Amino acid sequence: MSPGGIRVQGISKQFSHRVKGLVYAVRDVSLDVAPGQLVTLLGPSGCGKTTTLRMIAGFERPDAGRIVIGDQDVTDVRVSARGIGFVFQNYALFPHLSVFENVAYGLRVQKAPEREIARRVGEVLALVGLAGHERQQPNQLSGGEQQRVALARAIVIRPRVLLFDEPLSNLDATLRVQMRGEIQALQKALSITAVYVTHDQEEAMAISDRIAVMEGGRIVQEGTAEELYARPASEFVARFIGRTNLVAGRVLAASASAVEVEALGRRLTLPAGGAALVPGAAVRLVVRPETIDLAPPEPGDAPQGVVVSRTFLGEKVEYEIRVGEETLQVTGYSPLQRGVLAPGQPIALRIHGESVRLLPETAE
Amino acid sequence: MRGRRRAARDPALLAAVVVVWALLALFIVYPLGRLVVRTFTDGGHLTLGNVLAILGDPHHRQAFWNSLLLGALVGICGTALGFLFALTAARANLSRGWVTLLDAATLLPLVSPPFTTAIAMIFSFGPRGLITYGLLGLKGVTVYGLASTLFSETLTYFPIAYLTLKPILAGIDPNVEDMAQSLGASRWRVFRTVTLPLAVPGFANAFLLLFTASLADFATPLILAGNSFPVLPTQAYLQITGLFDLGGGAVLSFLLLVPALAVYLLQRYWVSRRSYVTVTGKVGAQTTVKTVAPWLRWPLLGGCLAVAVAILYFYALLFYASIVVALGANHAWTWRHYQVIFTDGLKAIGDTLIIAGVGMPLGGCYAILLGYLVARKAFPGRHLMEMVSMLNYALPGTIVGIAYLVAFNDPPLALTGGALIIVACYVFRYSPTGIRATVALLQQIDPSIEEASAGLGARSATTFRRITVPLIVPAFFAALGVVFIRSMTAISATIFLVSIGWTLITVRILENMTELALGPAAAFSVLVVVVVFAVIALISLGLRRWRVPGAADFSSIFGG
Repeated sequence: MSPGGIRVQGISKQFSHRVKGLVYAVRDVSLDVAPGQLVTLLGPSGCGKTTTLRMIAGFERPDAGRIVIGDQDVTDVRVSARGIGFVFQNYALFPHLSVFENVAYGLRVQKAPEREIARRVGEVLALVGLAGHERQQPNQLSGGEQQRVALARAIVIRPRVLLFDEPLSNLDATLRVQMRGEIQALQKALSITAVYVTHDQEEAMAISDRIAVMEGGRIVQEGTAEELYARPASEFVARFIGRTNLVAGRVLAASASAVEVEALGRRLTLPAGGAALVPGAAVRLVVRPETIDLAPPEPGDAPQGVVVSRTFLGEKVEYEIRVGEETLQVTGYSPLQRGVLAPGQPIALRIHGESVRLLPETAE
Repeated sequence: MRGRRRAARDPALLAAVVVVWALLALFIVYPLGRLVVRTFTDGGHLTLGNVLAILGDPHHRQAFWNSLLLGALVGICGTALGFLFALTAARANLSRGWVTLLDAATLLPLVSPPFTTAIAMIFSFGPRGLITYGLLGLKGVTVYGLASTLFSETLTYFPIAYLTLKPILAGIDPNVEDMAQSLGASRWRVFRTVTLPLAVPGFANAFLLLFTASLADFATPLILAGNSFPVLPTQAYLQITGLFDLGGGAVLSFLLLVPALAVYLLQRYWVSRRSYVTVTGKVGAQTTVKTVAPWLRWPLLGGCLAVAVAILYFYALLFYASIVVALGANHAWTWRHYQVIFTDGLKAIGDTLIIAGVGMPLGGCYAILLGYLVARKAFPGRHLMEMVSMLNYALPGTIVGIAYLVAFNDPPLALTGGALIIVACYVFRYSPTGIRATVALLQQIDPSIEEASAGLGARSATTFRRITVPLIVPAFFAALGVVFIRSMTAISATIFLVSIGWTLITVRILENMTELALGPAAAFSVLVVVVVFAVIALISLGLRRWRVPGAADFSSIFGG
């Protein structure tokens, strides 16, 4: 079966809140998922990502907008007729059925012949590495095994799309990394269109073809992990994807190709961003911690900053550097070769202007 | 808006909602409505004359105040006794064996016919009672009145307080008490400032439950209260069966409705919102409970055992009375009473078993259907449906019985005299326990399990059949059990509904009591206790066999 894409067109969902009255959980969200792609909805809790996913699945009905899977408008189609595979945060295994019967459930609903059920369940359990566990009850399995059963149960019916609602949040850190690799491999091998919800930016970056960052019920930016990291559209996205410094600055001069900015008590020449900038405008500079180089000041030069604290993490050292009024996070890699700076040490710093992103100052 | 659309898209849901509402309207709303109409009309005119006529009789006014007084006293004494048992069972670090014994002793009054203690009281303290006459040699003692009614009802109903308070006391995180002790508080201070305040909502709840139970109790006052202490349920009964005044009985039962409804609403909208236990969440490290000083354990246990022994004594006495010729006069051994109940009384036994047997599956299906709709489905009037379904259960049986009599005595719905009306009365009066069990179970089962089924292509009817039903089997068994047990033991509502054609064991016991045929009454009571315990054992077996791994334990459901 060739995978179909998902087109979400301007869906909204309101809930009545006890105190606030009617509130938007999801507001005018549009999203395109190409066939075979995995798109992640990423955002803090309460941003509407799960509600969006549940509307794609059909558990919730949007108040406005349409949802298209493949070339079928499914907005008014029941969950049971949408052909989706859903993996729940708590796995939602049927507690009264064995592993085999859990996985076989969807096939039995389809009234598949007994021999086909046995064959397909066996294949899928082997695929997720649970061959031999058929007769166990869900409560006899570890968290990781339950997760695999949930996955097997979702893919055995060969769904048109796979939907994941924070499937790894109940697992420990090591297992989480392992399982996300397995989920990605499986999704690529079966080439099923998938939507994945998480609040963990690292998980999102590891697993996704594209990421849609959500805030307050809207998608605020969508793109590949590299695009979001290199060119965040807002302070929210800059903070949410990776660690960052947001430095206050002022535009001195702007041309078609470059912008002169005053920040951290110096002039910086940066590549021009998308926004039209006029001289005098207040801006924010998105400076990633690893794009700042630290060095002891040249003899005779005044120091530009001082080391406040450092955290040694093995492959890198994280510093806090005081520069004038600002405190910067700076990451130094390979400390064994390059050495470690001590707290209190005066330093000179060099910012790689080409990787700095400019954002207009917003009232916060 | 959203709910309506969903119901419209799911024809099975729509049909289920319509059917349940039709049943509720016919068997709960309609009879109560007719009762109110009957109370406030006379020959088609709206009038207060009926009420004023009844209130004009000082005997009836006395009955109203007596009912409230008795309810309050039973509430206080029963809550105190229930707290003693709950504290001992939950906070005194007793071994499992002792706790099981306390549970067993409190189960006995819960599942017996309501007047078994009353009968045993007569045997012990009556004019020829084993204790008053036989042991102490007192003559001319009168057992009838407030004191003995209070004693009997307290002993019968305190297990409700025990079942209410025990989970609350057991749910208090021992770490909270440890914390208070580590701050320098003494045991008594911890108990006073931490344990007791946390249990306050439980006290209020237990008091109200006992108040309602006593207000509704019909059999105990009929046997023990006597003429000097009239209460509303017995007055209503005598008004109808003695004076053939259905209208007067309706007014009296309406007077009973006022405090009962007030307590029901108070409990539902005030007390039930004030539980602290659910808020505490995750229990920290394991620690033993230290509220109760070690030396205090034994006096507490001693108090409980004394009560347990009293209960066991009453039941042993009942059994003894059923196998001697005449208790207090001739203690020769005989099977005669059992011969009587299995010949003369055979029809009552057969009728009761048929009615219980028919009502049981109907009540079970009704309970899980309604519980499922209320807990899981979105449709307009969901909360109203739940509230209406609880009404017949919350109101005293006397009201329900008289309302059925008023509503179903005439065409087009002339059901009185048949078995159907008795079955309907039991189903709609005693299924709410099963409904609550279903709702409670479903609240523990994450909705995502049912969504997972829908996601795999199952329609709502398929999901209900293959996923929901197997998961709520324990609630189904609980519903079966409660409907059966109450069908065997209840009397307050159905005494108005029995006829020449269909009678009940409990009604025969009452007739025997009034005819002073105490032997057959005792034999009937023993039979009911034995049958009920056999059914409970069977259902517990079923529960154990069907229990889903990891699901909740429902063995204590019979108390509600």
